[in-house]
Amino acid sequence: MAGESNNSVPSILSIRRLEKSFGSLSVLKDISLSVDRGNVISIIGPSGSGKSTLLRCASFLETADGGDILYDGQYAMREGVYASKAELNRFRTRFGLVFQNFQLFPHYSVLKNITEAPILHGEDKEEVLERALSLIRKMGLTGKEKAYPYQLSGGQQQRVAIARALALRPEVLYFDEPTSALDPELTGEVLKVIRQLAEEKMTMVVVTHEMPFAKAVSNRVIFMADGLIVEQGEPREVFDDPKEERTKQFLRVFER
Amino acid sequence: MSLLTMILKMSEGLGKTCAIFFLTLLFSLPLGMIVALLRMSKVKLVSAVTRFFITILRGTPLMLQLLAVTYGPYYLFGANVARNKLIPVVIAFSINYAAYFAEIYRGGIESIPIGQYEAAEVLGYTKLQTFLRIILPQVIKRIMPSVTNEVVTLVKDTSMAFTVSYQEMFTIGKQIANSQTSFMPFLVAGVFYYLFNAIVDYMMGRIEKRLNYYK
Repeated sequence: MAGESNNSVPSILSIRRLEKSFGSLSVLKDISLSVDRGNVISIIGPSGSGKSTLLRCASFLETADGGDILYDGQYAMREGVYASKAELNRFRTRFGLVFQNFQLFPHYSVLKNITEAPILHGEDKEEVLERALSLIRKMGLTGKEKAYPYQLSGGQQQRVAIARALALRPEVLYFDEPTSALDPELTGEVLKVIRQLAEEKMTMVVVTHEMPFAKAVSNRVIFMADGLIVEQGEPREVFDDPKEERTKQFLRVFER
Repeated sequence: MSLLTMILKMSEGLGKTCAIFFLTLLFSLPLGMIVALLRMSKVKLVSAVTRFFITILRGTPLMLQLLAVTYGPYYLFGANVARNKLIPVVIAFSINYAAYFAEIYRGGIESIPIGQYEAAEVLGYTKLQTFLRIILPQVIKRIMPSVTNEVVTLVKDTSMAFTVSYQEMFTIGKQIANSQTSFMPFLVAGVFYYLFNAIVDYMMGRIEKRLNYYK
């Protein structure tokens, strides 16, 4: 696999034989994948395939039942046993997560949404403020610093959420269906921002239903179904020449 | 007795009415939060016991609770009835109102989407930071109308202190009514409560407005 061929630098994220069940329903069965620096990985697949659960396990929002999760070669979970709370908190600084429905803090201005977490972590206020303002500019939100989330469109809110995650300078950014809650005319502005981050070699894992985007932006596509990674590879391989019947069947739906 | 004398005499009890009102709020608002957190405890025994006490406090008359707190110690242990009845009165009111506030808080806390907790967790907020900075401010905004309701009720409930002969405004009014065989003191009391609540309404309205800077 891509991550394991490179021995000198450990992958940012390695997941091995990950398992997760909700009661008797097995949602993730034996998932292995690694994310290297600069990778942009799209995870596609039908709903209920476990894509989101995988991201939520990687960001410790769900407790996995078995397998390994490693950040930079260090175990966050080893054979189903998690590292200590303090260690998990340290791993938490390595990734950011963008939610489907933004989850901005409604009682905070755009600026405070972005700046509060780094300041709480003890970073220099001036420095955080400067970084936040440059992120706001980058997200095309100049002039919205003092606005409250309810005053923004969904697309703008999601861009604030991306800035909020980036303000903590994560090594890898996870997107859990970042455009699924948006009106079609607003998905473009969010995808554009993600594409821009990809060009800057930001490491990202994107769970998405936007096939043209996945094809154009990612350098690896993972197709999941029924809790398994059915197929993965370069976007061209997976989209234009899928090997597995399940993949073909799924992609056919989008061709219509 | 002239109407003016009546009003003046009853006004003397207003300080005590206010004492019940403000002290009850002072104690029951924070106590309610503690009760709410116990009620939501993951330890089943803790939440079950708390829930039981809440049902008792909400399921029995406040008047009965006032009598129990004021005279209970005498009947149970032969202890002297408190000289200053304000203490048992405020204890009874605070506990009773804490039970109501607890349920309001709980409803508010449970109405905040779980995604808010998750977002804070991923951003590295501690549990305490998440509660104090992210959850609580949103809860306060959401529960303001229900809290206002309780506060308005509390103003009127202070009259209940007459059952233990605490000399607040209504108790005095009742005594005048008895001695003068007049209904007038009750009308005066009604006007007093109405004015008191007009002020409460105005103040709570201002707080709600100040929280209206976001949706």
